[in-house]
This record gives sequence, C-alpha cells and structure tokens, in this order.
Amino acid sequence: MPEVAEAVVGQTPPSHPATRPPGTGATIKKRWRAWLRAIHRDIGYLAVGFTVLYALSGIAMNHIDDWDPNFHASEQTLHIAPIPDDLSDAEATKRIAAAAGLTGKIDDVFRAGDEVRLTFASGSKVTAIGDTVTVQVRRDRVFFRAADWLHATRGKQAWKFIADAYAVLLLYLAISGIFMIKGRLGLRWRGATLIVVGLAAPIGYLVLSGGPGAQRTERVAARPGEVDPPRPPKPSTDGITPLPPDDDVSPGRK
Amino acid sequence: MRDSRRPDLDRFPELQRGWDRRQFVKSAAVGTAFMALGGALVRIASDDLSKEARAETRSDGRTRLPPGQRMLEELRPMGGAEGNGDARSFRLRVHGLCKSPFEIDYAGLLKLPQVQKEADVHCVTGWSLIGGLWKGVQIATLAEKAEVKAEARFVIFEAAHGYTANAPLKEATADAAMVTYRLNGKPLALQHGAPVRGLVPDLYFWKSAKWLTGIRFVKADEPGYWETRGYSNHADPWKEERYA
Repeated sequence: MPEVAEAVVGQTPPSHPATRPPGTGATIKKRWRAWLRAIHRDIGYLAVGFTVLYALSGIAMNHIDDWDPNFHASEQTLHIAPIPDDLSDAEATKRIAAAAGLTGKIDDVFRAGDEVRLTFASGSKVTAIGDTVTVQVRRDRVFFRAADWLHATRGKQAWKFIADAYAVLLLYLAISGIFMIKGRLGLRWRGATLIVVGLAAPIGYLVLSGGPGAQRTERVAARPGEVDPPRPPKPSTDGITPLPPDDDVSPGRK
Repeated sequence: MRDSRRPDLDRFPELQRGWDRRQFVKSAAVGTAFMALGGALVRIASDDLSKEARAETRSDGRTRLPPGQRMLEELRPMGGAEGNGDARSFRLRVHGLCKSPFEIDYAGLLKLPQVQKEADVHCVTGWSLIGGLWKGVQIATLAEKAEVKAEARFVIFEAAHGYTANAPLKEATADAAMVTYRLNGKPLALQHGAPVRGLVPDLYFWKSAKWLTGIRFVKADEPGYWETRGYSNHADPWKEERYA
C-alpha cells in the first residue's frame, strides 16, 4: 500500500491517473446501480402500508357489484297492526320498537304521510308503513370502510397530496426496477420480456374491447360554473316553500 | 418420461433452485387461469334470471335486459358520498328555469300526487334489477308545479356533497321517471339514497342520483360528476353508452 503510506506521511500524492481518488462522476458511474437498489429497497419499505391499503381496497371496490365493501347491511320486514294516524308518537314508537325487538335509545321519531320513522342511537332505522315494519341495520367493515374512503371517496384535502406522493414513489419503484439488475436477468432478456407482457395486458384489453371510445356518443363539453349560494330556510306551508327565481340560470352554472 | 427441457440436475445441482422456481411459476399460472375460467363458467351457467330477462321484450320493442347486463335480485350499494338519510331534515329544491320554483320537505313530498310503477334499473357496472316496484312523485309533476319554462331542455339532479347528474328533459320527465322514496313497499336504505333519490330508469343508474337535494331545469346541458369523469353524457343502456 505505498500510496497510503505516502499520504500518511504528507508527501505529494502521486500524479498517475490510476492512483487519483475517484471524482463524483466516477463514483456515480460505479455506484449508481447499488444506490438505485438501496433507494428502491427503502421506498419499497415505505410503500408497504400504502400498497396494502390501495391493493385491498382496490380489489374490494372492483367487486362492488358483488358485495358491499363498506358495510354489513341487513334488512328485516315484519308485520304489525297498522298504526292509526291519531295515535300519539309515544304510543306509536312503543308499538313499533316492540315489534322490531329493539330497546335502545331512540334519537328521532318522524311521521309523514303513512310513515312512522324511528332512528335509534345505534344507527338502526325502523320504518312503519301501514302494516309493514322495515328494520334496517348497518355495521361498518372497519378496515375496508376506512381504506375505501382513503382510496376513492372524493372531498378529502391533504390526502390527495399524500396519495400523489405515493404515486410518485410507485413510479420510482417501477422505473428503478427496470435497471436494478443487469444482464440476461435484467433488461436485456427477462426484464424486457416481462415488461412487454405487462404492457401487453392493458394494451391488448384496450384493443380487444375497443376501449372507452367504443360506444362514443355526442357529449356537450363541461363549462366552468358557479356554486349556488346558500339560501336561508323559509317558513313553509304544507311542506312547500316558494323560492325566488334563480338569479342565474345561464348555461355555465353547475 | 423425462422432460427434455429439464436440465440434468444430477450433474448440475446448482440449477435446482431455478428449475424449482420455474415449475412454481408455471403451476401458479395454470392454477390461476383454471380458477378464473371456472369462476366465469359457474357464473355464466348459473345465470338463469338473466337468460329469462334477455328473452323478454319491452313494449317499446327493446329487450328487457340491455346488452352487457346481468340480472341481480336486489340493489347493490355502489358507494358515493352519503347524505344523512334523515327524512326530517330532507328538503328538495325544484328550481332553475321555472316560473314558480319551490322547496319541499319530506311530508310535503308525500302529499303530492304519488305514483307506484314497476321499473327496471341498469347499473353501468353491468348489473340490472328487473321489476322493482318504485313509489314516488313523478318529475313531470314537480315540473308542472314549478311551471318549468318552455326553453328548459335538461334536468340536473343535485345531491348530497355537490354530486350532480344530468338528463335530457324528455327522459327525466318520462312516465316512469320520479323522485322515489320506496322500493317494493320498503323505505330506501341509506346506502341506496335514503330518504329520496332520483329515478330515471331508462338511463344507466348513476343518473338516478342518490341522496337527492335538488331538481334544476336548465336550457344548456351540464355534464355532472361522472359525466365529467369519462362516463357517457347520455348513458342509454340499450346502446351501451357507458363511456364518453
């Protein structure tokens, strides 16, 4: 190790190119794949939670016409003697709740037309229409409801940007994955083949199905619009409150 | 018989891991394909209801079940930003291009002329509910009460959290189109738009806005939530107008 020995004793470093400390460019050239892999690994760890959340909720919502991913909902129909119109709310409530077999706290009793609607503190709803009582009960599927909400429901604020950041991380994982390994197991053969297979799936589906434009119809483009200003509630007669004409019924309003 | 593609693992034991992995991937691919095909076959073979509905013809000459649809026996909850489902606080604004716009509460709605009609609904995701008995108030009745102006051409359904859906006036005021609060004699469940939703049965079901808050009559079309996100503006199930 003569170079080290010379450096240690403070002598002039050797001028031969092979013995110079490597510059930044050379280091990057030599180490880039290792760094790519290291960053890929760490981002992979970061992405675990997001990926599980988005993948499971994606599968759940993909099959939303086969099941309800958010709730266990049940509905039961019972028959009772019809509730007379002149029966007091308290007595009507007592009869309906007894028929439904529910004893919890009742938050609201609402009568309209031939309906009596009870809302229980538990969230259960019981509606009597004539001689028919419908009991509607719903329980959250805790994980999926939360995951589906994060995945899809509109109206979230900061989460939109967090999800954008995750999407950028996914892009890094996808692109860095291409270059992680060199040679036949990398882009030269196996990698290229699998990338083509992966691209062929969506492209093939688009070609075979005709894509979203297959049943194209005429549509009118959306126009920028305004939101209705809130209007104060007004006293009503028979449940109907006249409204002033809309201030703006131009095509642009949304 | 020895697989000719199999390497001589006795001579080259270092190839064993690669060979095992290849066998595993092949088995997994075959198993997945078998399960997917099996599932599809079971689903197709057991769908007698859809076959029957496809064989029926409506009075307008169209098939009872539009193309690409399969029949279910009950509504499926398709998500969306729910309203509160509370009949007591329900208000419906009927406004826009009309001489007498009004706001009506739930009790008031039940005092208007009611209709009960059998109607089929068709979800853009591919399921249909055939023969549901829907009760409500025809949109034509609301339009008449609001004295809709002659220049109105479209109806915008307004719902909780700013959701909107648009429909041509002619289809939104058709005989079976209504604001509905009962299906098969039962109140709508919250996940199906309680207390009141729109119903335009001859268009894909997303047009029948859940958790309805308003009916607005307009002259120029205004594509709504899904219509501005790649779905068809008109949404005729018989023409399979699913996407824009």
